[in-house]
Amino acid sequence: MPGVRRFQWTKTGVTSTLDTIAARRQTGGMTSKLDRQDRSEGDRARARAYHREFWPGIVAYAVVLTGVLLWGDLDGQSPWRFLWAVLPVIPALWIVRAVLRHVRRSDDYQRLLLLQGFGGGFAVAMIASVTLAFLEIAGLGLTGTGWLIYGAGMLGWIVTGAVAGRR
Amino acid sequence: MNNHLKALREDRGWTQGTLADRLGVSRQTVNALETGRYDPALPLAFRIARLFGQPIEAIFIPSEEPDAPARG
Repeated sequence: MPGVRRFQWTKTGVTSTLDTIAARRQTGGMTSKLDRQDRSEGDRARARAYHREFWPGIVAYAVVLTGVLLWGDLDGQSPWRFLWAVLPVIPALWIVRAVLRHVRRSDDYQRLLLLQGFGGGFAVAMIASVTLAFLEIAGLGLTGTGWLIYGAGMLGWIVTGAVAGRR
Repeated sequence: MNNHLKALREDRGWTQGTLADRLGVSRQTVNALETGRYDPALPLAFRIARLFGQPIEAIFIPSEEPDAPARG
């Protein structure tokens, strides 16, 4: 290979001689362009595919949720209100599909980061649900605990994912 | 685990993004590999070795010599 001497085995392990590269670096100028943090073509393609699948799900979810809140009459008496209440599950499943396909397109390291994010979100949601359950038993009248657990889980996912990606 | 990935990449005049595309991974993964935050699984290690025409052990160096397995 040009510019790099062959690596050699020694008794204590592999030793490398990269003098040529080091010397070339010291002369300056070479690494600045190569150290760019731009996303690769593959990164862009993966991001485009993810957005193409994720955003229609989010928009559909927002539309269905708005419809449910406007016309679902969830606190009424109609038996149809139960159907209205579970209707947002359909676009939510589309979002889950988009996320799972994104995970499948990712490489091992990115999967590790995503998994850490999911794990963090799951742990926070579990802790939040148990804590809120105990608070309810203790007599603290809470409303919308499901939304609190959802918010805590999402926050845990986002924060853990961000921390894992920065390390 | 330490490695010579950055030196090999720069010697070829590739950015992290270029190397990522050649390996079929993200730029973030290449960065994690170069900074030693991530040790690749064997399939990726073999792809790297093949790409640079070097044996795996010439690119990746264990931080410490692993203990010899116990005998007997």
